[in-house]
Order: sequence, then structure tokens, then C-alpha cells
Amino acid sequence: MPRAGYRYPRESGGPEATADASAILDSRFRGNDEVRATATDLLEFRAVDTHYGDLHVLKSVDYRITAGEIVCLLGGNASGKSTTMKAIMGSVAPTRGDILYEGRSLSGVSTAERVRRGIAPVLEARRLFPRMTIYENLEMGAFTRRRGPEFDEDLARVFALFPRVEERLHQLAGTLSGGEQQMVAIGRALMARPRLLCMDEPSMGLSPAYVEQVFDIIRTINRQGVTIFMVEQNANMALSIADRAYVLQTGQVVLSGPAAELRETELIRHAYLGEVKVV
Amino acid sequence: MRSTIAGLPRACTAILFARISASTRTRLGIVFITAAAVLFPLVNGNDADIDAAANALAFAALALGLNIVVGFAGLLDLGYAAFFAIGAYAYGVASSWQLQPEWSGFWEPSRWLDLVARYHQASGDVVHFQVSFWLMLPLAAAIAAFFGVLFGAPTLRLKGDYLAIVTLGFGEIVPIVARNTPTVTNGAMGLNGVAAPQFFGFDFGVDATPYYYVGVALVAFLILMSVRLKESRVGRAWMAIREDEIAAAAMGIDRVRFKLLAFAIGAAFAGATGTLYVAKLQTATPEMFMFPVSVMVLVMIVFGGIGSVWGVVVGALVLQILQSWFLEDLSQWLHALGRLLSVDWLQHVELASSIELIFGFILVLMMLYRREGLIPATRRAPGLSLVEQTAQVARGGFARLPALIAPDGRAGGPLLEVADLTVRFGGLVALRSVELSVPAQRVVAVIGPNGSGKSTLFNAVTGLLPVHSGSIRFAGQEIGRLRPHAVLERGIARTFQNIRLFPNLTVLENVMIGMHARLGTGPVGALLRLPANRREEELAREQALEILSLFGNRLLPRADHLAGSLSYANRRRTEIARALASQPKLLLLDEPTAGMNPAETLELADQIQSLSRRGLTVLLIEHKLDVVVSLADKVVVLDHGEKIAEGPPAVVRQDEEVIRAYLGRSAAFA
Amino acid sequence: MSDYGVLLQQVVNGLSLGAMYALLALGFTLVYGILELINFAHFNVFMVSSFVGMWALGLLGLSGQGQVLTGLALAGTLLFAFAVTMLAAGVLGVAIERLSLRPLRGVRGTAAMITTIGVSYILFNIILLTVGAGSQNYPNPLPVVRWQLGEVTVELKELLIWGVAVVLMVALHLFVSRTRLGKAMRATAQDAEAARMMGVDVDRVIVTAFFLGSALAGAAALIFGLYYNYTSFIIGYTAGLRAFTAAVLGGIGSIPGAMVGGVLIGLIETLGGQLIAVRWTDVIIFSILVLVLVFVPTGLLGRAAPTKS
Repeated sequence: MPRAGYRYPRESGGPEATADASAILDSRFRGNDEVRATATDLLEFRAVDTHYGDLHVLKSVDYRITAGEIVCLLGGNASGKSTTMKAIMGSVAPTRGDILYEGRSLSGVSTAERVRRGIAPVLEARRLFPRMTIYENLEMGAFTRRRGPEFDEDLARVFALFPRVEERLHQLAGTLSGGEQQMVAIGRALMARPRLLCMDEPSMGLSPAYVEQVFDIIRTINRQGVTIFMVEQNANMALSIADRAYVLQTGQVVLSGPAAELRETELIRHAYLGEVKVV
Repeated sequence: MRSTIAGLPRACTAILFARISASTRTRLGIVFITAAAVLFPLVNGNDADIDAAANALAFAALALGLNIVVGFAGLLDLGYAAFFAIGAYAYGVASSWQLQPEWSGFWEPSRWLDLVARYHQASGDVVHFQVSFWLMLPLAAAIAAFFGVLFGAPTLRLKGDYLAIVTLGFGEIVPIVARNTPTVTNGAMGLNGVAAPQFFGFDFGVDATPYYYVGVALVAFLILMSVRLKESRVGRAWMAIREDEIAAAAMGIDRVRFKLLAFAIGAAFAGATGTLYVAKLQTATPEMFMFPVSVMVLVMIVFGGIGSVWGVVVGALVLQILQSWFLEDLSQWLHALGRLLSVDWLQHVELASSIELIFGFILVLMMLYRREGLIPATRRAPGLSLVEQTAQVARGGFARLPALIAPDGRAGGPLLEVADLTVRFGGLVALRSVELSVPAQRVVAVIGPNGSGKSTLFNAVTGLLPVHSGSIRFAGQEIGRLRPHAVLERGIARTFQNIRLFPNLTVLENVMIGMHARLGTGPVGALLRLPANRREEELAREQALEILSLFGNRLLPRADHLAGSLSYANRRRTEIARALASQPKLLLLDEPTAGMNPAETLELADQIQSLSRRGLTVLLIEHKLDVVVSLADKVVVLDHGEKIAEGPPAVVRQDEEVIRAYLGRSAAFA
Repeated sequence: MSDYGVLLQQVVNGLSLGAMYALLALGFTLVYGILELINFAHFNVFMVSSFVGMWALGLLGLSGQGQVLTGLALAGTLLFAFAVTMLAAGVLGVAIERLSLRPLRGVRGTAAMITTIGVSYILFNIILLTVGAGSQNYPNPLPVVRWQLGEVTVELKELLIWGVAVVLMVALHLFVSRTRLGKAMRATAQDAEAARMMGVDVDRVIVTAFFLGSALAGAAALIFGLYYNYTSFIIGYTAGLRAFTAAVLGGIGSIPGAMVGGVLIGLIETLGGQLIAVRWTDVIIFSILVLVLVFVPTGLLGRAAPTKS
């Protein structure tokens, strides 16, 4: 529950409120982590290959995500975007190369441990637990953490971001609309108090109004200090809030750079509406 | 020196084996086994041993029957003993003193046929059933088959483990009904006075030997039936259903019909065996047919090798002989050992009664460590030479197409017309009022972002999804309500986005399954193997090889390899070959170049091009838009279940709506 | 007793039986909800546990029907017996999962189910070979106390059964709805992959489900012995059939479904035996099983339909 005297950032709040809150929350985040220079990579893929049976999915892929950024991963169908998310969370292990988080390799690290270290997912198509209440879903997000004042704070933060969630805490998640589910899914991930939020196609299946809300919230969360790595089909929206972007095509990174630059070029269009280069 | 001499026998056998061809080896083996089986009672005169062997043969027959249901068709039946019981009681009632209805004129024709006799009793004349054993063998099989269809019809659509439970239920209900209807079955006391078979005046009596020979003949016959069915169109259809039901339906197999067929034939095997078993025992009690019997037959086929005809026979014989001979002898030995060591417990152990414990261990250990059984059903394929392993990318498409791929008669007019199609599933509208027209002998591509409904469209056209409203017309006929196998029969074949091959069947078998709808051999034809059937099978095999040869070195050397062992790209090609084998007029390809490198992609694109030039109509889902541009005459763009654009590729590619669909709407604020 | 009284008495009996079946069905459905596995071995874990219970009571010097305890001695004895039986059953269940089912986790098809049939056989035959086929007298320390309510007689042991069943069901409900591990179990049952993404140790959840499910079977087993005053190697099949049907009837995978189904089957058994004939109850129950699976596969309270798409 909100404590008196503590102003939480509103959804589309003015600059002062956000700055105050984010400054306070920022220091709490970096709490028990080692202090690192802001230029350090939070997440890094080094020449990562993955296979599905004998199908070569990711081909020598490199990503670098710095703390505090919003980075989006774009690409057409079957380009390897979902596999990237799975590799970060640990469902898929690289067959070659390495994934580093906070400078340490994630090889052999369990999914539960990755969540504990600060990586939380917002899954494709939400995947809330349909017969559990919204509250229970949020609780599950904090599964790896101990209960205590920090849990209450995070819960309060989620309520501040999504006021409608607080109203319907005991409603079964399966009865919500797609857009509402997406809000809860993001909230559930935030309950892990992550440093890195991995979002898999947050706009999929949502009406334009909800898409705008979701991207709004992503911006807010980022200002509060969470690094965002986002896989998206909707390139235009994604590039409008991202700092940098990578474009995947059949498992290879074909484009990368500042989002603003990529928005202006025709290259993205070519990557999506594909060219097949003969070697 | 010593090693050379020691190695001599092995060298001799190796030379012998290499000289004699596989088929001759098989024939010699069969002759040898038959001789052994025939000579056995003459060599070992002990009636108890022969009786045990006769029992073993009965269970081998049961194993063969269950193998058809579980091994071939993949339907787990835990109540198989019910059919055994039905066949047994059918003979038992038809040839014993159990039923004695009053005599009336109605029975006169049956007496004339010697099926019944008229007996004088103090209270009046009664009917005595005395149907001949030899007549009852096929009749009981038919009765059991009827019950197979009866049990199967409402239950075969259930998922694997639920089907197992329901069959378990039936398997329990039948003996309980038998126990509780004493007027018909004499309940728990068992039928008495079941007549022994007569063979041209010779009464079988209680000696085990004649039953043994009948058992040998029955098992030999059932082995022949099993092998013939397995290596026919019917067997392939069953195995396709076992491997992937959806793909089987999409390749023209009527699942319901073939599942019922498997159930019925399996039941028939058990029915006939029941007759033999009861004739030998001259009684039938409900205890003989309860759940442990069903489990025992299951253990036999798991042990021997699910799906392997010889494997399940070996499994049944080994386990029966284990139970009746080996364990007895081992127990005696342990008793002696116990006396020697003065260990009381050893002197009283009876291993034969612990056979079920052994069965339990066999089930668990086989499932954990050797699921394919003693004699696996699938053989290992020979390795490939270096030449066969390499394949060059061949541009230019198919050099020569087999005659069986023929164009549709009409040209120009629409072959497929989809009008106002709406499809719902999972509470969402997956396709909304989609309208699409595919002109004959053209290539039309369907593109669109993830989740736009492309595969849903394919599923609706091929009958895998129900159509909520709208119409789908193929060659002028409405096909929206047809089941998948009927759609294939009309001439629409497809591949799947995730590749649905039959992994434990060979590449060649996969392609021959594609021909299912164009061949006509049914179960009768498979069993009789008349010249017409043999010709059809040979022709089918040739045509399948011809289709494989289209892909050159990639598939043909691997014709006898298991489809699951192929590389991803080759599995795609096999799927396309399988679809072509069905002689389609319209080919639906769902992301055929996914997972292929650029060179292979272009090779396949050329191949699709050559199919189109030959006159095949192609509807394809594809993401690599350069491929689409080079191949397609027309492009249709779907987004969120609706058609948003249509036209020539170059135009569509520049269309604003299309670009927005792929790249997303612009942000409201920069 | 009037006909009405007889029926009412059978209702009372049916509720007692139903409580026992509900516990047994619950254990079964817990595992199914997470793994979608039909665990045949569950019902012979039940049978083995009843012998463990007998042995536990024997440890306290109780055997046969001779001794009767009251008050604190009775309570302590029962507590001990339940604790030992449930713990032993739980350990057995976990051992089965570890040794025979975990290696088959990824294998599609009915391989795991067939393995549970094998394990079931092994348990059944071990008991048959060591203890023999005869019924074993179950010690019964409960004093025979009856209350008369109109035409109906209620015994102390029936109150005990209802008491134990209600306590266990409430405890289970609290466990899955209030504790961290319990919620992890529910989450895993609804979406195992998403649960893993939240950091849930799915292996641990599965082991817990097997432990709890088997412990409930153990409680049901001790109840069986105390109610019927006997046990034998065959009770796994007889009670198991009913509990299995109860789980399916209530909706397989659903916890409230198992409870409702158990009570219904108990009532059907007693009333069916009374109104039709005892020797037909097996057929009736099997028929219900078949009919439910064929026509209403989701059962009364369940969700997932076990048919192919």
C-alpha cells in the first residue's frame, strides 16, 4: 500500500514526479548489486549459435545491451527472435558461443538462478496462470524472492503503474482481456525486481490503444532504472521508444544501430520484406 | 596359429552368410522353424510339455492380435482379454451342454446342418448345441470382430491414455458379466462339457498333441496375415496413424475406418484363439480372461518388440516357456539347494507363481532401457557411400517429371475459390471474411506477419479446422465441410509448417503413404495378395522411387532410412515428395524453404517453378519475399485474419498497407 | 427398519466410503494435474500402505480386534499410525517417481503409463508373495460406540473417517492456496513452462505432488483398515477402481472434482448395492467410467478435454 509522503510516478506523469521517484527507486535497485560503471554491458551475446535438432537457428549472433537502455530485436517471421529470448532465460542452451550477464557467463546457470540474478521475462502471449488470481500471478512473479517489505514495495509500484490491477486483484487471470493480461504480465515480471526485463512481442494481439499504453509503461519502467530488451514485430512502435535496435533475418544479425537512424532508412523494410542473398 | 584355428568357424559362417542372400536366408529359416515345430511332439513325447507348448502357441496368437492394435495402429488396448473371452464363450456355448432350450420346429434346419442335435429328456426334447469347432473358429473370430467395432466406434477418438482406460473398462466388464450370467456361462464354475474338436472322425480328446498342431497352424496363419497386412497399403495406413494422426488424415487416410479395422482384426485374432483355447481346456471360466491376462499379452509384445511380427511371437513363446518350464526347473533346483544348505525358505520358494512379479519388472525395465523390445520393428539402414552423401545444388528445377504428376484439365479459371471465409478458434476470430481465388496452373503466395492467419487458412481449406461461415470451392465443388482425407481425395495435398513426417517409417514408406488415396488394396486384397494387388504394390513402389529421384542424390539413397533421421532440409523435401505422390491438382506448401540456406532456397524455388510449368497449381505461404517475387503470379496479404492486399508481387511489395502491417503502425508520438 | 431407513443408512455408509475414495482420488488427481500421467501404481501404493499401517499399529502392541483404547491413548495411537503410514506412503511414491518415471519425462506417448502398470504389478506381487492371498485381520483400537439418529446408526469409526478426511482435505486446500510450494504446484499444473520462467523448480514440484498424493493414499489405506477391519493384497484393485472413477467423474486434474467425485462414487456404491445387487457394483462403476470418458470427458468440474484436435 502506498505510504504517506511517497509520490509514485503516474502513468503519463510530469517530469518532476518521475525524476523524484526514479531517483529514489534507482538507488534501491542498485542496492545489493556490485557497483559498476554505467558503461558496462549488462547482457552480451558472443558469437552465439543455437540449433534445433540439426536446424541451425541462431548463427553467430552478437548483442550488447548496456544498463539503462531499451534495446529492441526486430525481424520477420522465423528469424530467431523467440529463440533469443529462450536462450537468455535458459530454456535453450547455445551450441556455440557464450551469453554473459553482468560480465559472468550464464552457461549452466538455471532459469531460477537467472531470475534471482535479475533477469525477468514477459512471455510471448502473456502466459498468465489462468486459474490463479491476478494477485497470485503477481506473487508467482516474486517466487524467487523472500517476502518482506521489498515485496510490498514492488507490489505498490505495480499498482501505481497499473491502477486497474489493484481494483481486480482477486479476479481469475484467465477472464481478463488480452490487453489487461499484458499489463498483469508486465507487473508479474516487475515483481521479480529485475535489472533486465526481457519482453517477447509485448504488442502481439493487442488493440492499438493498448499497444500505446504498453509502450508508455515500458518507457516509464525504463526511466525507473530497468533495462529493457524487447523482441518485437511492430518495428515502428518499437523503434520509437528504443535506444538501439538489432534486426535479425534467418538467424543472423543483418542490421544494428541507434534506433533513430534505423527508422529513417529503407534498410529495415528490406530486411523485413526480405532479400535472399546468394553466397 | 591358435587364433586362426579358433577363428575358422566364425570365418566359415561369415562366408556362408555372405554367399546366401537375405531372402534365401529367410526362407531357410522359416523351413527350419516349421520343421522344428512339426517334429517337436515326436521328439518330446511328454504330454505336459506338449500342452505347455500348445498354451504358448495360443498366447503367441494373442500377441499377434494385440500387436496389430498396439504395434501397428498405435492404439493402446488394456482390455484385450475381453475379445479372447468373447471368442471362448462363443465356442463354449455353441458346443456344450450349457444351453438347452426346448425343442421346436425352429431348430430343424440347424439340425439338418448338424449344428444342433435333438435330445430326449424326461421333461421333453431339448436342443443340444454342437457347432463344429472348425466352423466356430472363423465364426468366433467374426463375433469378436463385431464386438471390436462395437467397443471401438464410440471410443476410438479418445486420446491415447484415455482410450487405454476405456478399453480396460471393457476388459473388466466382460468377465464380470460372464460371471454374473450363469444361465449362459455357468458363472464362476465354468462351462462344462465343451466338446472336443473332431477331424474326419478322429476325436481330439484330452491329448494335447492335436491341439498343439492346430495351434501351430493357427500361429503360422496369423503370422502370414500379420506380415501381409503390415507390408501393404493397410499396414502403412495404420503405421501412419500411429506416427502422426493429423498428417495421416491430410494424406488421405480415413482414420476412423482404419482404427476400427485394426480393432476388429485384432479382436478377430483373439476370438479365434479363444475358441482353440477353450476347446483344449474343455471349459471356460471368467478367471481365465481377467485383467492379468490382458497385461500378460501386453508384456509379451513389449518384451518381444512392439510392432515386430516375429518379435511378439518370440516374446510370447519365451515368456510362456519361462513360466511353465524354466521357472519350474529353477524352483526345483532352488529346493535342492535349500535342502543342501538347510535354508527353509529356499526349500519352499515357488518361482512359477512369481511370474507376474517378473512381468512387472519386465515392463518397467523394457520401458526404461529398451523400448523397442527384443526384436525391434524397424531395421537399421545400410550406411551411405561418400558419393551418396554429397549433394550438389541443382538449379533449373526438375529435369523430368513423372507421368503421374499431371495438370488439371481446365486452364485459366479459378481452381480454388474461397469466399467470405470466417474461422474461429480459441475464442478468437482467426480469419474474418477472407476472399481468395487461385487460378488453375498458377502460383499464388500468401504472406503476412506472424499470427495473421496463413496457416489457419491452410487448415480450413484442408478440413483440419471447422469453417464458421463462408464457402470453399475446389474445381467448382464445395469442400468446406469435408474431412481432411476427403479433401486429399479431391486433389488437394499439403505440407506443414513444422514438418509432419512419419518419423519411424522409411522415406519410401512415407512417400507411398502419400499414394494411399490413389491405391485400392484393402484388407482383403492385402491378405490374399492376388496378382492385381501385387502389381499395384510394385507399381506404387516404382512411382514412389521415381518421385524421390526428382530430388536427386538427396533422397533416393536414403529411401530405406527412417524419415526421422534425415536432415531438416531433406525432411522438408520428403514431405513435398509425399504430397506429390498423391497426384494433387492443388499443392499447398506451408513455408517450404524455412530452414534452408540461400542456395537450397533457390533450388527449391526453381523446383516449384517447374511443377507450376507442368500444370500443377500451387498455393504457398512464404516469408522470403524474393522467393515470392520470383515465383508467384499473385500475392495475397493477410494481417490479423483479414486480407489487406492482393496483386502482383512487385506491386504488393510497395503497398503502404502491407508495409505498415509488417513494420507496425507508427507511434502516436515520436 | 423401513425402506426409507435402509436407504438413509446406506447414504451414511456411502458418505464414509466416499470420504475414503475422495482421499485416494485426490492423490491420483494431484499427479495427473501436473504431469497428465495416469499413475496406476498409486492404487497399489494404497494397498501396500495399509499393510504398513497394520505393522505400525502392531509396533504399539496392537493386533487383532482384542484391544480397545480410549482417550489420550487412542488419540496418540491413531496419530502415530497415521503419521507413519502417510510418511511411508509418501516416500514410496517419491521413490517410484525417481526410479521409474523421471527417466521417461520427455518420452511422448503411453510409455510412462505402461511403466506405472509394471510398477503396480511389482508392488502387488511382492505383497502377494510375502504376505499371501488371505485377508489379514486389522487391529482396531477404536471402541465400538454407536449413536442412533432416528432410523440411522452412526458409528464412532465413521466420525473418525469423516474427521480425518475433512482435516486432510482442508489441509490440502490450504497448502495449495496459501503456501509458496502449493501455489507453485498449481502454477505448474496450469503452465509448466511459464512456471519455470518464474523460477519454479519443476522437478521439486513434481516430487512434492507425488509425496502428497501418496501420503493421502496412505491415509486412505489406514482408514480402509480401520473401517473394514481387514486388508488384503487385492484392495488396490477394488478400491482403486472406485477412486479412479471418482477422479474421472469429478473431472480429472481437478482437486474439488476429486472430492465431489469420491463422495458420489461412495454413494453410488452403497445405494447401487442396495437397490440393484452387490455383485453388479463393479460393472456399474466401470460403466460410469466408460460413459463419462466417452460422453463427458471433462467430468463434472474439469477443464481439459482428452480428445484429439
